[in-house]
Formats: sequence, C-alpha cells, structure tokens
Amino acid sequence: MIQVQDLHKKFRRFEALRGLSFSVPQGSAFALIGANGAGKTTIIKILTNILVPTSGRATLLGVDSRKLSPRELVQIGYVSENQDMPPRLTVAEYVDYLRPFYPTWDRDLERETLRQLRLPSERKIGDLSHGMRLKMALLCALPYRPKLLLLDEPFSGLDPLVRDEFMEGLLRQAGEMTILVSSHELGEIDGVATDIGFLDEGKLLFQESMADLNGRFREVRVTLADEAAPPAQVPKDWVGLQALGNVLTFVETSFDEKRFGEFVRSQLGEVRAIDSQPMSLRSIFTTLARAARDNAAA
Amino acid sequence: MIWHIFKKDWKLIWVFVAVVAALQAITELVLAKARASDDSPMLTLLAQNLPTGTIFAMMFLIAAIVLLDAIPGLRQDWLIRPILRRDLLLEKLLFTVIAVEGPIFLANLALGLASGFSFRSVLLVSTERVLYLLFFLVLPIFAFASVTKNMTEAFVFACGVAFLIGVLVTIADYVNTSANKTLTTTLYTGIGWIGELIRFAIVLVAAVVILRFQYFFRKTFLSRALVVLFGFLVFVSLFLSWKPAFAIEERLSRDPAAARNLSVAFNPEVGRYQPPSGLNNSAYAGEGRDADVFLPLRVSGIHAGDTLVTDHSEVRLFGSGGKLVYHGSIIGIEADKAGMAATGEDRHQKITLPASLYKQLQGQPVQAKLDYSFTLFGLSKSYAIPAIGGDERMPGIGWCQTELNDAGTAVTMKCMAAEKAPTCGGVFLENPSRGTQNPEGFGCYPEYTPYSARPLDDAFTRFVIRVSFRDPHGLAKYPVDGPQLPQSRVVIRIYEPLAHFTRSVVIPQLKLGDWQPR
Repeated sequence: MIQVQDLHKKFRRFEALRGLSFSVPQGSAFALIGANGAGKTTIIKILTNILVPTSGRATLLGVDSRKLSPRELVQIGYVSENQDMPPRLTVAEYVDYLRPFYPTWDRDLERETLRQLRLPSERKIGDLSHGMRLKMALLCALPYRPKLLLLDEPFSGLDPLVRDEFMEGLLRQAGEMTILVSSHELGEIDGVATDIGFLDEGKLLFQESMADLNGRFREVRVTLADEAAPPAQVPKDWVGLQALGNVLTFVETSFDEKRFGEFVRSQLGEVRAIDSQPMSLRSIFTTLARAARDNAAA
Repeated sequence: MIWHIFKKDWKLIWVFVAVVAALQAITELVLAKARASDDSPMLTLLAQNLPTGTIFAMMFLIAAIVLLDAIPGLRQDWLIRPILRRDLLLEKLLFTVIAVEGPIFLANLALGLASGFSFRSVLLVSTERVLYLLFFLVLPIFAFASVTKNMTEAFVFACGVAFLIGVLVTIADYVNTSANKTLTTTLYTGIGWIGELIRFAIVLVAAVVILRFQYFFRKTFLSRALVVLFGFLVFVSLFLSWKPAFAIEERLSRDPAAARNLSVAFNPEVGRYQPPSGLNNSAYAGEGRDADVFLPLRVSGIHAGDTLVTDHSEVRLFGSGGKLVYHGSIIGIEADKAGMAATGEDRHQKITLPASLYKQLQGQPVQAKLDYSFTLFGLSKSYAIPAIGGDERMPGIGWCQTELNDAGTAVTMKCMAAEKAPTCGGVFLENPSRGTQNPEGFGCYPEYTPYSARPLDDAFTRFVIRVSFRDPHGLAKYPVDGPQLPQSRVVIRIYEPLAHFTRSVVIPQLKLGDWQPR
C-alpha cells in the first residue's frame, strides 16, 4: 500500500530524512515510532504530497506521491494534530462542504461517527478544543471509507477519555483500511498497531510486525555460579549488558526459546538459573533507542 | 466544483465583501457628487481620499479571498482533499472578479443609465474600467497574495516590496536627474499608454506564470522570485524609450499628410529674446544654478485653425570635434491657431543649462541639435449651449449643464461623459444677437490613449469649465458680460489629433552667449 525507497529530505542544511526505506502492507496498521524531530511528520507530509522529497521515492496506492491526484486523494484519509480547517465554518458546514468531493461518502457512517465522537455540529471549528479538532479531523476522514488512513500524532495532547473516544471511533470503522500512524507515545499505539517502524534522526532503525517484535525481545536475567562478568566477545543480539554480583542482565533481541539456554551456557559457562521475560513495547523502544544512541556515539 | 467552493468562500467572507461593496458604492456617490460640484470642501476632501482607501480595502479583500485557501504552508486541510487545483484557481479568480469588481460594475452601470447615457456606452465604459482594474489591481494582488501564507506575511512582504520600490524610484530619480531628465520620457505623456499596455502585458504574463507555478506545482520560492523579477520588469518598463514609442504613435496618426508641410527652422533674424518687463534678467545669466538661452525659431506650414503641441523635445550640444557636451530634455514650443500667420510664426526655444556648463561654453562655437516630437490638432467639433440653464448632450463631450457661479463672475459648465473626454479644446462666450464674443480660453492636454484614459477611480469623465465674463478687480472688460448672459451661449470647440510627427533643427554653429535674453 505504501512503499518508501531511499527517501531524503533536506530543509536547507538540516537533513530531516536520511535514506529512509520501508513498506506498509495492505490491511496493516503501521506505527511509525520516534522521538520528536525524528522525521515522522516529514514522512507523512511527503506521502500526502504536501512536501516534496529531496531525493528518493514514495508511492501510495501504486502512485508516486508527487503525482497524487484527486483520484487517489478520494481514497486517502488524513488526520493530523496540525490540520488547519476553516475556523469560521461550523462542524456541520465543513462536513457539508467536503461531502460532494468524495463519491463514496457514506452519510449514515458520517452520522454514526459524529454521534460516537460527540462533536457539536453547530459549533464553529475555531471554537473547538484541541481534542475536538482532532476528532473533527477524524470525522472528516472516515465517512468516505478511505483505503489508506494517515494519522500524524493523532493522540498528542488528548486526555484519556477523548483518546478512548477517538480510538473507538477509529477502530470501529477500520475494516479493511490500511493505517499509518505516527506517534512518540508507545502506550498509544499498543493494541492498535500490527506493524511498527522505529525512526531515529531521519533513519529507520527497524521495521517489524508487532508479533515478531514481541517474540524476539526478552529481558534476560542469568544467575551465575561465580562473580558475573561479560563474555570476552558479547553476542551481537545482546543489548544493555549489566553485571551485578553473580547476576548478569541484558536484552536478547533474537530470542529463540529452543536454543537460548544452550547458547547462554556456551557463552557464560556455569549457569545456575536463566530467567527470560517478555518485554513491554515501551521497554523494547527504550532499549533500542539506547542502543542506537550508543552506536552513534561509538 | 467551482460553484461549490464559491459558496464556501462566500459563507466565510461575505461580511468583508459587503463592507467593501458599501465602501465602493459610497465612493462612487461621493465622486459623482464632488465632480458635479466644486463648492463643498468636505466633498472635495472625501473625493480625494476615499478612492485611495477603497483601493486599499479592495487589495485586502483580494488577498483575503486568495488566503482562504492559501498555497504556501503545510497545514491547510484543503491540500489533502480531492480538489482540482484548476477548479480552485478558477473559483478564486471568479470570486475575486465578482466580489471586488462586481459592485463597481453595477454601480457604474446604474449611475450611467440614471444619467441618461445609452446602455451601449455605459456598458462599454463600465467594462473598460473593470478590465483596467483587472490588470492594474486584481491580477497583480492575486498573484502576490498567492505566494504568501497569511495576511501578516502578505503585509510584511508588501512592506518589503514597497520599500524596494521606494529605493528603486529614488535611484531612478537620481539617475534621471543626472541624465537631464532624458530617461523617463514616456511616463505621464500623451503616449504613456504604450508603456501602460506593456505593463499590462507583463502583469498578464506574470499572473499566468506565477499562478501556474503556485496552484499547480506549489513552487513558492520560485514564485516569490518571479514576483520580484516581474516587478522589476514593470519598473524597467517605466523607462520606455521615447523614440520607439513615438514611432508607434506616428503610425497611428489619423491624417499624417496634415503635417507634411510643417517645418521648424532656426531664424536668427528674429533676434534675442526680450523678457517681459519687470523680470530680473540675472536669473537667465547663470548667476544661480542654471542659465537660460533662447534660440529663435520659425514654425511654418500650419493650416489656419490647427494647433501644434510639443509632446517631447530634447537638445544636444556638440563642442569642438563633434563631442557631445550636453543632452537634456527641454520644454517645447507651442504654436496655437490664434495669430498664426501664413508665413509662419516666430518662437523662442528656451534651453536651460547648468550654469557651470554655460560659463564654459558661452564664448565657444557649438553645434545644437533640437529634436521635436509634435502632434498637430485640428478642429473636430463645435457646439453651443445656452450660457444660463443650458442642459445639452453633445457627442464627444457628454452631458453638460451651465449655471452662474456664486460670485457672479463666470458661467460654470459641468459635464459628464460616458466616453473618453476631449483633451484639447477652446471655449468662449458669444452673444449672437449682438455679434460679440469674449476671448477664447484654450487648453490642450496631450493624451492619445485609444481607450478611456486611466479609469482607475471613475468610469465616467467629469469636468467643470469656468468661462469668465467679469473681472472682480475691474481691470478687464469683456464684450459679453453679465446682462447679456440670457441671450448668450457658451461655444465649445473640440480639437482632435490629426498627425504625430517628428522634426529636427540643426544649428551648425552658434555661440550660446549670443542668445541670452536682452
């Protein structure tokens, strides 16, 4: 559904994207995770042809992002925390304005989404709160049943209640939609994303399905017979190695339940106990971010 | 979808449109009142300032319409909507023309029809004004606004452009003064319309190019550079050279043969210029910054009843070895129909030189070359209207009414025309029963624009002519005076340009010092 190849974007001297490549499979909910300034918004702006890449290529629905026409835009929904809609129009007036542009606009779905999101249809857009404006953007993106939904930091600044209403509104209508969501809050995409890409300073560190990611990351605690010391040659899959007394802790990034115990013993010698625990997405993200920073520093 | 977007814009901006339309209507009414009467200082003040205010309001409205869906920027919702850029551009243009020019067009139409002009002529002048505004105001501001994100940016950018224009104008003024005013030679002259048409063409090309880049490719940086580039081209067009422009005007002459026998020649027999008594001659002799010399010329070959107007004249002085020592613009000679003898008429051509140059050259032999661009006017129409209570519609002049002024010293003739006004004419009072007439008052303003001249603030031509019949100081006595007014009439003679042509006078050798005033 989305293909990004060697994408570069420079803003004068600042390189926001540095050779980014990833793909979003059809029907997936792809979460683009990264700290503020990592380049998430830049990618989405390029995908929607609001920005033009310096080099590289991005395609959506099989069309180069630079050649997006109304034919493709009727199939794309976009929700952003920075979306300027006419402030002097009411919610209802703006929805009325947008409706004729979309041949597939479903008025029943519009009414249902409006009810779910609890938006005051007679209030002017300029008078809506930040959270309500995000819901308004969602209301303007769902009723035409887009094939692709791009969400740029959609949960930013939302209180939990509004976030839940937003998510409920989104997930109910998701259907066969492909979703690309950017966020710097891991908790927000937990339970939403099927795939994840981790972006750091304009580079994609990895792209993986959530199932694979959860499967291969383990927080490991090894109790040794003697004083713990890291092996002379630390395996490349072990990250954040720490020794305390006879306990060695690290994160295994390629966990394989069948071979793991044997491999640990081959590396560390006499082992009293091995404890491996699945990690939360936040812990995985933090581990990877630290590793990336350490690699960059090295 | 054009109409659909139009309705959205109308919802958002109708109050602003209504305010500007009201301002336009008030301005039209004030202009109509003020130009029909010059008695009220308040009306005069409003007529001087309201049009400028209205133009600014229109500029803001145009920018506001464009900025409802701004092109530069990354946050506008419309960017990710399936809206055809072509539709958006056409809608904005349509909305701008209707909202900004519609009220003016309707006001002019209503005013013209209410004043009794034919529908065809009113439609023509109203359309002409709308087209003029389109090129002069709507397209430039539209293109300008399309390269800005919001009103603040537009205002700041406009201030920057205004500053740049100010700097360029100051530099140009300095350069032109240094070149003895030989650079800006077509501006504010009868052939200024040629430069104006070139500027309209530049504006049209600029608007097409910039709007295409902005609306279809969102190339804001490039478009901003183009705004500056085309602005500079407009500025350069102000320096349109006289010769090629006048050559175009020459080809448009209605009757080129009328000036075939007209000649201008140096005529030393006339002798030195005698200034009117009481004037201080030292002013001519180079005791100040400038010095004046007066070269005697003979103008011949003008038919009786015709009048000659100098559109532009330049002098070149060559020193020893044919080296150009001075090139400057001069105030030309004029030879009107009154007193034009069959053999010709003698005139003195005044040449103002820097005092230092005059002192250096006064005793030396120099060659002088005088280049003239002339227009010969011939009598076209003649009308008469009762001196008091006259109310006539005259083709070529318009609808005129006469009345006595408050001081009881002159007949005031107020006219309104739904066409280009006469630019050259004479007017006098005549009493046919006694066979007497007052001296003719004559005025000529060279303006050869083939369309209504500069209808920026008004589609109609309105003018007031005062024909004196009594000198309040009692120094002059008029043959047709107050008691005769009920039997008298105002005679108007209109002159139209027959031929535009050039003449040169070469004086192989002269000493400037010999042609100082006596």
